[in-house]
Amino acid sequence: MGIEFNTQDMLDAYLFENTQLLEALQEIVLDQKDEEYFDEDSINEIFRTMHTIKGSSAIMMYDDITEVAHKLEDVFYFLRESHPKNVPHVELVEYVLKVSDFITDELDKIQNGEDADGDSTELIEELDQFLNKIKGKKSSGKAEGKEQEKEASPMQFYIPPTAAAITNSHFYRIYLAYYPEIELANVHAYKTVYALKSIAEEIIYEPDDIISNEGSAEKILQEGFKILLKTQKGEEELQKIIKPGYDIKKVEIYECSEAEYKKGFDGIGSEILIDLDSSVEEIEKRAGQDGKKEAPKEVKPGDFVVQSKEPGKAKKLAKDKKQKGEKTAFISVDIHKMDMLMDLIGELVISESVVLQNPDLKVPGLKLDNFNKAAAQMSKISTDLQNVIMSMRMVPLTNTFQKMNRIVFDVSRKLGKDIDFEMVGEGTEVDKNIIEHISDPLMHLVRNSVDHGIESKEERIAAGKPERGKVTLSAKTESGKVWISVTDNGAGLDREKILAKARKQGLLDPARSDASYSDKEVFQFITMPGFSTNEKVTEYSGRGVGMDVVVSNIQEIGGTLEIESTAGVGSTMSLKIPLTLAIVDGIVMEVGNSSFVIETGVVKEFVSVTEDMMIHEPGGSESVMIRGECYPVRRIGDWYGIKECVTDVEDGMMVIVEVDDRKVCLFVDRLVGKQEIVVKPIPSYVKKVKGLSGCTQLGDGSIALILDPGGATE
Amino acid sequence: MVEHNSQKDKYVTFKSGNEFFGLKIEYVNEIIVFQEITEIPESEDYVKGLINLRGKIIPVIDVRLRFKQEPFEYNDRTCIIVINVRDLVVGLIVEKIAEVVEITEENILPSPKMGKADASDNKYVYAIGKVGDDVKLLLDPERLLNDEELSSLDNKLELDEDDEEGDE
Repeated sequence: MGIEFNTQDMLDAYLFENTQLLEALQEIVLDQKDEEYFDEDSINEIFRTMHTIKGSSAIMMYDDITEVAHKLEDVFYFLRESHPKNVPHVELVEYVLKVSDFITDELDKIQNGEDADGDSTELIEELDQFLNKIKGKKSSGKAEGKEQEKEASPMQFYIPPTAAAITNSHFYRIYLAYYPEIELANVHAYKTVYALKSIAEEIIYEPDDIISNEGSAEKILQEGFKILLKTQKGEEELQKIIKPGYDIKKVEIYECSEAEYKKGFDGIGSEILIDLDSSVEEIEKRAGQDGKKEAPKEVKPGDFVVQSKEPGKAKKLAKDKKQKGEKTAFISVDIHKMDMLMDLIGELVISESVVLQNPDLKVPGLKLDNFNKAAAQMSKISTDLQNVIMSMRMVPLTNTFQKMNRIVFDVSRKLGKDIDFEMVGEGTEVDKNIIEHISDPLMHLVRNSVDHGIESKEERIAAGKPERGKVTLSAKTESGKVWISVTDNGAGLDREKILAKARKQGLLDPARSDASYSDKEVFQFITMPGFSTNEKVTEYSGRGVGMDVVVSNIQEIGGTLEIESTAGVGSTMSLKIPLTLAIVDGIVMEVGNSSFVIETGVVKEFVSVTEDMMIHEPGGSESVMIRGECYPVRRIGDWYGIKECVTDVEDGMMVIVEVDDRKVCLFVDRLVGKQEIVVKPIPSYVKKVKGLSGCTQLGDGSIALILDPGGATE
Repeated sequence: MVEHNSQKDKYVTFKSGNEFFGLKIEYVNEIIVFQEITEIPESEDYVKGLINLRGKIIPVIDVRLRFKQEPFEYNDRTCIIVINVRDLVVGLIVEKIAEVVEITEENILPSPKMGKADASDNKYVYAIGKVGDDVKLLLDPERLLNDEELSSLDNKLELDEDDEEGDE
């Protein structure tokens, strides 16, 4: 049992870590998909990511993931080490995404308790071909490339990493000089050798009797310590391992060819790359420059480091590269713990008010100055605490937006459309629950924009528009709601076509003329189930499922969809969703002994009315005339059958709420106040009650029922 | 069954009407004093409403009303037994907590059945435990909470929805 539990833990960690890695990977890839090539940082990052995934998957014994990751690692290893030119970038991007998709799928399966049974053979073959292709291109007509190709050819995915790596090894001569005052220099030398062993495929050193012969210390001090190293790692990593320090006076690393390597120790120490007098920064800087400067000098037959980037390119890269901000440290926390913390803080706030409003304090003649001071301080802290926990639940939309970036890329490639994708305000923060709900609807909208919205290249040219279409995904917060819009500069919605289709489906009111339908009404038709004006069904859209699903998904979380469109110019689909499901700014009202809360956003005004403003209809329903406008009235007390509630309209309060263009008056006994409330579901044991969407606890610990504006005004 | 379990055979007993009832202690989370209840409109009469149990909102039901006995006045001896049945946390309002007793298996008799008429009343009691000269009616908490009303509850929901539409 214990072991099982542990593997589950390990599996969780594995899934979590790799999911994160893949997300980061996608971000990098999509960030640079429109460049001509990946910059060095990204190549390294992708390489490292694949390496990590490979490693952890091997431990968890997911062979297919391991192999695929390994293959992609190979590709990036080659890119990193050999800087080949003419890599078909888009193709490479696709491969990386494919691999990331494959692994994501497998991880999903594992997460759902299924077997990771995806077949990687095809993908690996494709990657193999791709690798050969970029290698082939690179080596054409270059003497030094041939050997590499020859060496690389036996590399196949099922060879374990260490074996495969032989072909890509570097050879180094290393010369270390120690301070003469160091004692037991042989031990220090062994320390270095030991450190190198972890990365070395082969290591030869001189003097070679450093452990057995104490006299070797003398020799090291006089002649230096020489190492011949064969490794996969680059020079920079070596420099990290062997650094001048209190013992080592001078380090010289010289990359050499295999032939030179085999010759042994003759001539080592001839070239100095690092000297001790420079600061670390300088050394690093210089190392970078040296690497580039030296590249041409070092090219010898059979040499491995072949092409550094052309100086011009390197400059451009340096300029183009976005300055990456300080990385924030994250920890992942079990969501249940967060909920627990939230509950506890809720309790704290309540017990705070119990203490501060304790009847014992109301004894006349008590001096409470100091108490009140302390109490104010405590209230401040607990408010801060509340804000922090709320902010902890907020997550930026960045990841969701990145996914959309991916979709635009995929769909536009498949449809052969050139599309720029722009993201605005992706840092907007939204409650975690909401994010989970908007991903799918957003995907539909983005797909729609790319597929139907943006016209084909020919059509665009004919219409005198720029060849490249543009899709903008933007997010902003406004009055407690998040607006997420998908805007395209495509053809826009075709009003006539929609009307025609609506007529065919019998959605139009025969009594109304076409012209009497506002654009807004017409565009609403496309959100009806089974409504699609796209004549041809594509892989992505046109089946008429989608928009209705979008709308119902959005409504589930209390959001709305707004459509704006101008023919020929483009359209905008805006989702308006609440910032959070958990906390709502609400108006607390009382009816009889019960408290109700309604979200502030829908409340238009509070009005005290007099009896003569009331209109009683024969059927028993009531309306009220306020400033020349007539509103239907719903008495909450009667509606819920609450005893002892106010019946005379002049004693109560009318709350005018507006939902979806419907204005309704809710009649309540009295208003209590405005409050931020934490929404909790009504326990499932209690059957669903009309017009209620949840419950909450008020400051005094009592429970209020939350009115769902849509339901309560129906 | 050599399993060592301090909760085994222990029952929380409480008084409702003239009878004493027993609940297996493993279902019982805690016992709290009566606190104010927020009514939920339109629910069954025995579902008294919601209470705030240290930040957690749980429904409470009145056991006497559940057994279709006469309602009683809540006073300071009234208790709420918070039970947890398959992650469903519900409070039971009872007149008076008696004690925690141990009833071993040999002292538990299946509840007597007397044809149809009896079945409806005794559906919550699955057995009778003897403690000395007293008897405790042992409750099946799952049936206490759910029983056949699950299906009728679903029906009712649908009806309500129809009603709502009818209001339009």
